[in-house]
Amino acid sequence: MGLLKMPPQIFRLVLLTIGIVVSYFIARQLLTPASFRDYGFYRGAALEEVASRTPVFAGRKSCLECHEIIQTQLFKGEHKTIGCESCHGPSSAHVADPDSDGKKPDKRNTLACSRCHEANPSRPVTQKQINIKNHYAGQKCTECHVPHQPNEVP
Amino acid sequence: MSLEITNAIVEAIPRFEGYVYPNESGTHPLWGFLIVLYPYITGLVAGAFIMASLVRVFRVKPLEPVYRLSLLTALAFLLCATLPLLFHLGHPERSIQIMITPHLTSPMAIFGFVYAWYLMAVLFLELWFDYREDFVEWSKTEAGFRGIIYRAFTLGVTDVSDKALALDHKLSWIISILGIPSAFLLHGYVGFIFGSIKANPWWGNAIMPIIFILSAMVSGIALCVFNYMVLTWVRRRALDMRCLDVMGMFLFYALVIDATVEALDWVHRAYSAEEGFHVMEYMAQERLFYTLSIGQVLVGTLIPLLLLGVLQVLRKRIPDMARKRMYFASAVFILIGVFAMRWNVVMGGQFFSKSLRGVMSYKLEFAGVEGWFMGLILLSLPFIILTVLIKLFLAERLSTKGHVPHRMEEI
Repeated sequence: MGLLKMPPQIFRLVLLTIGIVVSYFIARQLLTPASFRDYGFYRGAALEEVASRTPVFAGRKSCLECHEIIQTQLFKGEHKTIGCESCHGPSSAHVADPDSDGKKPDKRNTLACSRCHEANPSRPVTQKQINIKNHYAGQKCTECHVPHQPNEVP
Repeated sequence: MSLEITNAIVEAIPRFEGYVYPNESGTHPLWGFLIVLYPYITGLVAGAFIMASLVRVFRVKPLEPVYRLSLLTALAFLLCATLPLLFHLGHPERSIQIMITPHLTSPMAIFGFVYAWYLMAVLFLELWFDYREDFVEWSKTEAGFRGIIYRAFTLGVTDVSDKALALDHKLSWIISILGIPSAFLLHGYVGFIFGSIKANPWWGNAIMPIIFILSAMVSGIALCVFNYMVLTWVRRRALDMRCLDVMGMFLFYALVIDATVEALDWVHRAYSAEEGFHVMEYMAQERLFYTLSIGQVLVGTLIPLLLLGVLQVLRKRIPDMARKRMYFASAVFILIGVFAMRWNVVMGGQFFSKSLRGVMSYKLEFAGVEGWFMGLILLSLPFIILTVLIKLFLAERLSTKGHVPHRMEEI
């Protein structure tokens, strides 16, 4: 009886609102991922998905299995603590298939050097820093420096 | 080739001055041009709605010609208010997640609730009650696509008896009263997001929400002046000068209050001169000189204040044509100035190093998601939506009972 007394426009609005709210809750029920809130405010299954990804970095040990000579050079200088893939990029594809040219890691380029050596006042003063724009602009770093033995001159 | 690489790297590393922390020096500001657009568009929504409520709640009769236009303006801009955020995040396909798994404790996520409330409970309802009588009328007279739309919007209710209309007006009035605090909430919230960041002296400020609301009102009224003048020009109709004068009057009052509160904020900062004020001074004089001193203060505040102030004093002595031009110029200047204000807030806070000893910089690009071309597209989108809304709901050929809120008293 109460509903019949309600003015028609209000009744339609109430119906519409109920329709929207109900369809929202149905949609929510259907679309909420199954493992949501298993551990917290995220999809629990996301952890397994991330863990099951194939690693793209091979690690220094795999590099040194073949490139032993580099090891003897590298361990003498300042760069001994830096991982191979920090400059050469992810290499697991190359480790799995060393003969394929397409999978070879990057040769070093200016970008790799600037990542640590571009002048930045927030860096420790003991780390050698240059302003790449003014420091022999146009030349490659490797024309004067040997990345595997930074103290040597080519 | 290597020279290009070298130059590209130097370009990629942003310049900064003084001493900044490592995490501040290495990257671009996280919030770019799109985040500037977000408070701007949201402010225009709140301002346009408050402009409409002047008619509905405060019964300012001369403004009736722009009542529906202001509401449609608010709607068109509200529909685009979340787009800059969505584009900035870069994964539009994930936007459904915010609704499916709503977060209740993050202040950023609360915007979703404020937005939904404002769109569904305030704007849609107020528009629907205001238009219901016309929808019923148009659903009978219009055929084709338009007819289908109007029939759908009646929700099947064809009762337009005096009793039903009186109820419509009453409910519309109640919604409008609720809408004013809601509009304040919508934009006060945006100010709150910045003002609550207490680690950043440029943002962390208790009156930030108030400044945002006031500037929103100014920009919203300016937008309504702009839209009204453009619409009548497009339609080759005569402007209602009384309406324009009253809009100009409210624009002037809002601008006076806004300018005073913002100036008070700066005076307070300057006098208390807390740590880091010298960086703010430097920013106002150097880094943000064009957007703050020229854009916000000169173009956005002083020139419109002068123009509108002169119009208040000498209204009767200035010919109509000159008055129109002065109103139009003031509206455009204010829209530019408020945009500059949003820029100063969003970018200024990021230029400000937490070390209080240095500033960063930002180079606006043309292309890309955060480029100004993208911003221009986003900013023209609400105008396109508004054009469609005007064609559908404010078309000249549609007979309308007109908006007459004072009729409630007669009934």
